[in-house]
Amino acid sequence: MTITPTTTQRLVTARDRTFGAWRRVDGLARLATIVLGALVLLTVVAVLTGVFGSTSATIGGRFAPPSPLAPLGTDNLGRSFLPRLFEGIATTLVVSIVAVLCSAAISTLIGMIAGYYGGAVSELVMRIVDVLYAFPALVLAILVSALLGPGRPAAIVSIVAITIPLMTRVVRVATRTVAERDFVVSARISGVRTPVIFARRLLPNIAGTVVVQASYALSVAILVEGGLSFLGFGVQVPEASLGLLIQQGMLAMTFAPHLLIVPGAVLVVAILCINLIGDSLRDRLEPRETRSLT
Amino acid sequence: MIVVLWSIRRVLAALVTLAGVSVLIFASVRLMPGDYTDLVLGPLATEAQRALAVAASGLDLPIPEQYLRWIGGVLTGDLGYSFVSNVSVTEEFAARLPVTATIAALTVVVTLLVGIPLGFVSALRAEGSAGAVGRFVSALGISVPEFLLAGLLVFAVSTLGLGISVGQYSSFAEDPGRFFGSLVLPIVVLSVGCVAVVARNTRDAVLNVLVEPHVQASVARGETPMFIIRHHVLRNAAVPILTIVGALVAVLLGGTVIVEFVFNVPGMGSYLQTALGRRDYNIIQNAVLLAAAVFIVTALVVDLVSNAIDPRLRLTGGSRR
Amino acid sequence: MSAVTIRDLALEFDGSPPVRALDGVDLEIAEGSSLALVGESGSGKSTVASVLGRLQPRSARILRGSVEVAGTDVLALDTPALRRFRRDELAFVAQDPIASLDPTMRIGRQLQLVLQSTGRDASPARRVEMLEAMRIADPERVIPLFPHQVSGGMAQRIAIALALCRRPRLLVADEPTAALDSQVREEVVRLMFDQARALGTTILWLSHDLPAVARWCDDVAVMYAGRVVERGRAADVLGAPVHPYSRALAATDPSRIGEGERLVSIPGAPPVLHGEATGCAFEPRCPLRTDACAHTRPHPVAPRATLCIRTDELRRRVRESEVSA
Repeated sequence: MTITPTTTQRLVTARDRTFGAWRRVDGLARLATIVLGALVLLTVVAVLTGVFGSTSATIGGRFAPPSPLAPLGTDNLGRSFLPRLFEGIATTLVVSIVAVLCSAAISTLIGMIAGYYGGAVSELVMRIVDVLYAFPALVLAILVSALLGPGRPAAIVSIVAITIPLMTRVVRVATRTVAERDFVVSARISGVRTPVIFARRLLPNIAGTVVVQASYALSVAILVEGGLSFLGFGVQVPEASLGLLIQQGMLAMTFAPHLLIVPGAVLVVAILCINLIGDSLRDRLEPRETRSLT
Repeated sequence: MIVVLWSIRRVLAALVTLAGVSVLIFASVRLMPGDYTDLVLGPLATEAQRALAVAASGLDLPIPEQYLRWIGGVLTGDLGYSFVSNVSVTEEFAARLPVTATIAALTVVVTLLVGIPLGFVSALRAEGSAGAVGRFVSALGISVPEFLLAGLLVFAVSTLGLGISVGQYSSFAEDPGRFFGSLVLPIVVLSVGCVAVVARNTRDAVLNVLVEPHVQASVARGETPMFIIRHHVLRNAAVPILTIVGALVAVLLGGTVIVEFVFNVPGMGSYLQTALGRRDYNIIQNAVLLAAAVFIVTALVVDLVSNAIDPRLRLTGGSRR
Repeated sequence: MSAVTIRDLALEFDGSPPVRALDGVDLEIAEGSSLALVGESGSGKSTVASVLGRLQPRSARILRGSVEVAGTDVLALDTPALRRFRRDELAFVAQDPIASLDPTMRIGRQLQLVLQSTGRDASPARRVEMLEAMRIADPERVIPLFPHQVSGGMAQRIAIALALCRRPRLLVADEPTAALDSQVREEVVRLMFDQARALGTTILWLSHDLPAVARWCDDVAVMYAGRVVERGRAADVLGAPVHPYSRALAATDPSRIGEGERLVSIPGAPPVLHGEATGCAFEPRCPLRTDACAHTRPHPVAPRATLCIRTDELRRRVRESEVSA
């Protein structure tokens, strides 16, 4: 006997699902996505096409005020600031995203292994991770850059080292919860090979958690890169990153405050958007019923 | 009995981690590029002078022996001498540690006094426009990096006056007023980030408790919100909040490096930074070890206290999940 | 005198699209009696129970209807009055007994808190008395324990003690034995009924367990897709059901099947409504459906408020089969 919906039930269509999803995302996160998207788009255009000017050409006096040739004025070497700003954004974003992707991959792998096998394996992994975790973040970053020499690779490696402990813990806990569920146990009993279990049964169920953690890791990454470059251990001149630009801005702040404020504002906006999106992702992927005390 | 066994296990684990950290620090410091004799003696030093310098600081001994000498020194309280300036590291630590400790302690106090109530309020008014404002502000709080805030404050203070002086540090013994005055800005900068983190995590912890069936059962019995918070929510939310205090210490340890740099305060953070620039092994090793030790001890204390509060942890041997 | 009167209660959960959990519920429970609310998961039983104390989730909106408990209009109470009402007239027993107790607080202390907040004697002796009344052997041993240290059955007895010590007019038990072992179930149900009847408390019991319900409850109400499709005395509704859904439900009871017969289940699944049902919600799965059923919204037909347009015909059939049996 076929079940046809009664005339009173609307079929929940695919359109409902996508637009419903967009509508369910709260206004703040929507705004954040748009702003962030615009920023990234502008940066990509600026860096790939150089339409805002060259980042190395000297076009005027030092610390000149905004003019048609240099919409944000010039920096300490007479270069137009606007293209350097975009280069800074690009460097910061690229470094952070690359680092978080590596970190997420590594954390997911070892977190799943620790969570699935438990016991001694889990203890060993967590001990090693704990050693990394015991280092204060910035100190670890500085150490890494002292080891590898300052620059982009150092920034990337330090971010990876800092974010792995956090993500691994969460992945391990999430894996443990999923691994106890019947569909995984039954797969193991029926002889499904472990890598397949990992890929087909565990991974899809923890993917949401990983994405949420990765988004928070991204905001941490940008902060770390900023701090590292600010202290002089990260990206070096003549390259640009937001942290470096802020440091240079600080030196010039008495006569050209915009050189400090603009990159600072961009940095805050970028991190804020990522955090708001991460919050919203978390609410959606790990929804929490709200109750009140009345 | 289980409690005691579990506690001992935890302490041992902490010691193992600390040992691991010390090895890692030692190795990474030794691997740093740059011949220290160049830095200390200059590139024009003769072979003989270099050999003398190396022997004097024990750098010619085999690596494992160097490690053991260092650890031995740490355990007996002798932290050696700075390679560059030949000042006793122990003395320097003793002078600078109180400064950083004061900043950290006062920041923690402010953070707990402001952050936890803020988190509670935010959780209890979690929906609607108030909720959105709360979420925005809390996201903003963790989005402003300390170095930026520090820089902006320096800018604001130097251009607008405001009567607070930057970089006018004097030690507590000489002038307590100036001592605390010079710490105000660093504490403010650190507190902003820390309050935001604590408020966020408190809010999460409380929201998680509000959904638990026993809280709903209490609502169904007609208890007032104040009653429920006082008797049920506080204790159940205490453990997650306590965990955050542990993370707070980690954040602070890094943050002090930056604020001491920007505001020119002679504490442990700035000491470490200059030492890194000069490849002064001894200082770097000991400072980082100290920082890691502080964090590990804090985490241990948090764990032990959590255990005492939440009886479920005792039974399962430490893991609530 | 009726302990509970619900008229035409309709409730929706926010969402895109919204979910209509209650689509016009009519229910009456006589004071001092016991009524079982039965139905599949998703029929709306728990939602109705929560509305009795205005404890529905924040995402739920009441569209229309009235709810009266012990003469009080629940939906019109202001917050302080609502709390007093919950404290004095209502008591809930939940499905997971251990989860409904504060895990960080000893059992004795939880008893003390509840006794104190209702202004009753909260002395240690009284607490021991409470546990003894719940037929807990060795109550002194239980008092200092934490909830996770006692069994499910013990925790449920404690929950019943906490519920009844306030002498409520209405006790709502939401599948209180679902999480318990089968041996313990009988004892817990017996305890609940004995204690409640002694106090004159009205019982509303949400359950899947038809045989147990038939043994203990005076009346039964069957819910489907947010409406009560039939209600009446337990023997009538479960023994000689009229509504096609009640009949299907009664037929699925494994204890009724003779040896060698196949277990029957109802094909399909209950619908999720997104608006008011314009016809009969059971129609797609009904073996007795007619074309009119999909377009005609049924109204309750006496004497069991049966929601079926073919009620009179079906009642005749039942009477005939009774006569011929």
